[in-house]
Amino acid sequence: MKSWFFKSEVKNDMEKKEWEKFLVRSNDFKKIFYVNQKTKVRFCFSFMSTIIDENTLQTNILPYLLEKDFNELDDIKLIVPMSDVQISDDASQIEQKIFNGYILVTIETEKKRFAFIAAQKEIVRTVAPPEVEFSVIGPKESFVESIGQNLNLIRKRLPIKELIVEELTVGKLSKTRVGIMHVEGIADPENLNTIIQRIKDIEIDNIVDSSYIVQIISDNKHSPFPLLLDTERPDRVAAILAEGKIAIVVDGSPHILIAPTTLVEFFGSFEDYYLNYILSSFFRLIRLFAVAFSILITPIYVATLSYHYELIPKDLLSTLITSRREVPLPPILEALFLELTIELLREAGARLPTKVGQTIGIVGGIVIGTASVQAGLTSNVLLILVALSALASFTTPVYKMGNTIRVLRFPFLLFAELWGLLGVVFCFILLMTHLLRLTSLGRPFLEPLYPLRVHDFKDALIRLPFSKQNMRPQFLRTEQPVRFNKKKTKDKKQDIDE
Amino acid sequence: MTNRFGVGLLSLFFLTGCVQKEILDDIAIEIARGYDWKEEDKIEGTMLVYNFQPDKSIKNTTLTTTASTSRELVNYLQEQSPEPLSEGSLEVFLFGKKLANEGLIDYLDAPIRNASIGARLFLVVVDGNAKELLNGNYGNRGNAIFISNLLLHNIKYENLPKTNLQLFFRDYYEVGKTGFLPQIKKIDDNKLELNGISFFKTDKIRVIDTLETEKMFYFKLLVDKFSEGSHIVERDADKAVIRSISSRHKMKITKRDPYTVTVHIKIRGIIREYTGPGTLTKKVITKYEKALEEEVTKECEALIKRFQEQEIDPVGLGFFIQTRTRGLHLKKDWEESDMYKNLTVKVVTDVKVLESGVIE
Amino acid sequence: MSVSIPEKSKISHFLVFFLISSMQIGIGVLGFQRIIAKTAGYDAWISVIIAGLFNHIIIWIMFKVLESTNGDLVSVHTFILGNKVGKIISSVFTIYFVLLATAVLRTYIEIIQVWMFPDLKTFWYAFAYLLATIYIIYGGFRTVTGIAFFCTVLPSYLILTFAYTVPFSNFESILPIFDHKLKDIFLATRDMSLTYLGFETLMMYYPYIKNPEKSKKWAHLAILSTTFLYTVLTIITFAYFSEGQLEKTVWATLSMWKIVQLPFVERFEYIGIANWNLIILPNICIAIWCSSRILKRTVNIKQKKGVILIALLCLVSLNFFETRDQINWLNDLTGKIGFYVNYFYIPFLLVTVLIVRKVKKK
Repeated sequence: MKSWFFKSEVKNDMEKKEWEKFLVRSNDFKKIFYVNQKTKVRFCFSFMSTIIDENTLQTNILPYLLEKDFNELDDIKLIVPMSDVQISDDASQIEQKIFNGYILVTIETEKKRFAFIAAQKEIVRTVAPPEVEFSVIGPKESFVESIGQNLNLIRKRLPIKELIVEELTVGKLSKTRVGIMHVEGIADPENLNTIIQRIKDIEIDNIVDSSYIVQIISDNKHSPFPLLLDTERPDRVAAILAEGKIAIVVDGSPHILIAPTTLVEFFGSFEDYYLNYILSSFFRLIRLFAVAFSILITPIYVATLSYHYELIPKDLLSTLITSRREVPLPPILEALFLELTIELLREAGARLPTKVGQTIGIVGGIVIGTASVQAGLTSNVLLILVALSALASFTTPVYKMGNTIRVLRFPFLLFAELWGLLGVVFCFILLMTHLLRLTSLGRPFLEPLYPLRVHDFKDALIRLPFSKQNMRPQFLRTEQPVRFNKKKTKDKKQDIDE
Repeated sequence: MTNRFGVGLLSLFFLTGCVQKEILDDIAIEIARGYDWKEEDKIEGTMLVYNFQPDKSIKNTTLTTTASTSRELVNYLQEQSPEPLSEGSLEVFLFGKKLANEGLIDYLDAPIRNASIGARLFLVVVDGNAKELLNGNYGNRGNAIFISNLLLHNIKYENLPKTNLQLFFRDYYEVGKTGFLPQIKKIDDNKLELNGISFFKTDKIRVIDTLETEKMFYFKLLVDKFSEGSHIVERDADKAVIRSISSRHKMKITKRDPYTVTVHIKIRGIIREYTGPGTLTKKVITKYEKALEEEVTKECEALIKRFQEQEIDPVGLGFFIQTRTRGLHLKKDWEESDMYKNLTVKVVTDVKVLESGVIE
Repeated sequence: MSVSIPEKSKISHFLVFFLISSMQIGIGVLGFQRIIAKTAGYDAWISVIIAGLFNHIIIWIMFKVLESTNGDLVSVHTFILGNKVGKIISSVFTIYFVLLATAVLRTYIEIIQVWMFPDLKTFWYAFAYLLATIYIIYGGFRTVTGIAFFCTVLPSYLILTFAYTVPFSNFESILPIFDHKLKDIFLATRDMSLTYLGFETLMMYYPYIKNPEKSKKWAHLAILSTTFLYTVLTIITFAYFSEGQLEKTVWATLSMWKIVQLPFVERFEYIGIANWNLIILPNICIAIWCSSRILKRTVNIKQKKGVILIALLCLVSLNFFETRDQINWLNDLTGKIGFYVNYFYIPFLLVTVLIVRKVKKK
């Protein structure tokens, strides 16, 4: 056995192989030679020891290859009890496969052919409750950083053959696996093709997370609005796939992307579907109000105090004037000062470990707030408004949208300072135009508001009961617009006490 | 290149695009203004400015000066004020009685021309001196708020007909109607009262007659379409306070050439207080109803007679006749015409007492 | 002859409703009451309705004209007059639409200067506003329509605020009905039609409608609802002001807001004026869009460049009008031209189209 290893021709053979030159420089690259005990066939394993599961190798592969009848490569498929065994003569694949956690098997007799046996070691975090999109009611699963595990979570909820996953590899260095899921017969093939095309066209070396993909394939790359919805909830993905949308699963990212999407979708929490429709409609409206409040309240404060004191009710006037009596800053600087303080607190809270973060919140909120009012840096009315608007901005269920909303306040402040209420409305015009021009996968982002689709209002600003949700959203142009037969769910018309 | 140009243009835009600011705490907010007659062609103007104390109470700060026109007055007062005076929150305009008798036409142009003055502004005639009245101390929310709240609640629940800047000018410009304004009087440094309604001649907007407080109940019945109010009805030994909770009037032309107008007044009221020897039985209530009916008819007819003699028409009879007569285009000064003098007005009153409280 | 527009930039037929009504409601609403009451007194509300009826006829004529060529105004002109002359005549309309946009924007800025900021600089405000307009038009006609849609729907709450004037109104003012000569009522009708102007833009965006046949209903509905709105507003105004007072009130609609008082807003007119930003936006956008579209169709200038060109033209010409008299002159001029375009030129077009078609058939 050993004598074979030292044969010079084998050595030469090894040096000839281009692909090995680089690999041997890594310490974790292993190349081990064995001889089958029955047939005396010599074979060799090449693999990266850090990404394969040694346990699989020791128990499921090696014993069989050493002890069973092993004459040629094709025998592996028969004797090794593993599902993913591939035989190929394409040398260019080798590197890729080894780095994907395959074990390369070569035998002395067949120099041109190789076998790959999958033995990936999956280090997967356990499925934990969702943290960003937490809900009190409903499933408590969230995605993890492995594409396999994530697909498992989705497939469990849609056990049908029509759920199709197409896989692409993106990134010259990262070789990230990207799975594109849709339900055949429902999703619009045009949307699917657009997504596949856009992902194929991605020119980037390294894809670390799904948010990279959002920014690269969005219709408008310069918009502060997220144009693809991301979620960490398998239940949401399953429901949305059934609606006819397309999901993009990226390996290494616990967030799954959904396209096409609309603005109103960002303000619907998935918990809305777990509550009675009256309650969830109410909560949705509250959230929309919160968004408007959060964007507009400080600009309106600045505008009225700087330009339109006539608007202020008589009873409020004394409160406002006395609270601002000691403040040296004009309203705009006062507002910017407080807004930036809140942003600082949020940023500090986000960067620090959870325990310390809470302390910072208390210190910032209570100490800085009261102290700055007492020191005469801000008025307490504005302090209340800024705190409320910060609170309101956190009600947005999708984290990325919450960030956008917080940033939007600043241009509004600037215009409020410039032209008062006129400036606020002017800035609103700019925002409205921007939103009107946005598209997600070529579908208007403001749908169903504009283009007005009354049918799609059933699940937009409010949510109607499930019996009314018998049609899929129109803007998706699904191949099968009907979700279920409405007639069967209708209540029978009965008289009293019958 | 284009980028640099864009940035330059944008910064220029933000630098020069700004407009004049009126930051709330850097201006002197004027809430009431008073005009008084000083001498021939000279008026004395008083401004009441918000002055908030740290404990949120309001101190009454007034500025006074003499000038010949209203605009000049504001300019002179700016010289007295540490901060720019702003007129946007004006609540009350006061006119001294003497000035009102001379004519207000020159001083009323400002509030209607100035876009920043609201239409709910109260115009008030002061029985006495406006400056003295503004220098008093009424309530703890400032004099202007005190006056405007006083008027507001009297309009809403008591016997003062609806009035404000808009309504006064509406009547002033209307053909066949003349304006009226409430009149207040300072009692002492901490008290003032509503003490009547002043009627104006259209020509120079001067006061020609003032209605006493007791008659305001009847006047309101004639002027306001729907109104509330309260009135004391006296009968021999006993009296009752009747509160009208809903009353309305309807006019009808019953005869033309010369015109006869019948005014139907309908009052639905409740008895709020009763003092007298007997108990308040059904019979007594009916008697009160009758008494009030007679009283209202008599007083209203007398009021209109009085207006006809003074050649004013605050009820708007001319306006009413014009809206009911095709092709009749009255002249602006129709109050002085024979037609108005020869007009006969009949008042028909219908009173019903609905409730008389929780005791029998 | 017909213009081919890519399907994806076309708009649904019902959106014509918003295009027409948003274009009709503009700066005129703020002060038309005084003008019509001058001639017909408090019978002028009848003129508002009559003018509305005329508009229905004009819209019907417009659709007839447009159907004949299945294109826009430029294709109608080329159909009648041949390619060259047709295009020259059409390019005159560029100036008309520029005038329309300029008049609206300048009057709005005047209102801001009188009511809010006396020192607002005409140039800078117009600059910002036109920049926003360019941004909108770059989004294509669908975005322009979207603006028309939102700028009709969002400020519609303003109608409710007029309810606050009712306690201070006397609806008997409009009595007796028909107290004026028929001639006066028709003169007021002419004055009223100036306020209704703007729907002639249909002549340009007609090819962008997905289903023109179905859109007719919506166009008429738009005219009907603006007529209704104007009538209600006129009656409310007549009830609120006395005739002599209205004569002196330049912006009656704005003055009515002075009486509105909400628990959290003492004076409403400032909010109203700021909101009017939204209402005049479609006026300017659609006018500039039409103007640049004509340029594209006649002189073959790319619309991207045409828009900038026309916006610049507006920006420059705005600064020539400084006093109220000059602005009034501009408005009168625009109104007059618009009046003749709508009520004489378009019916004339229909007649010629019918004649030319007969001649061509022979």
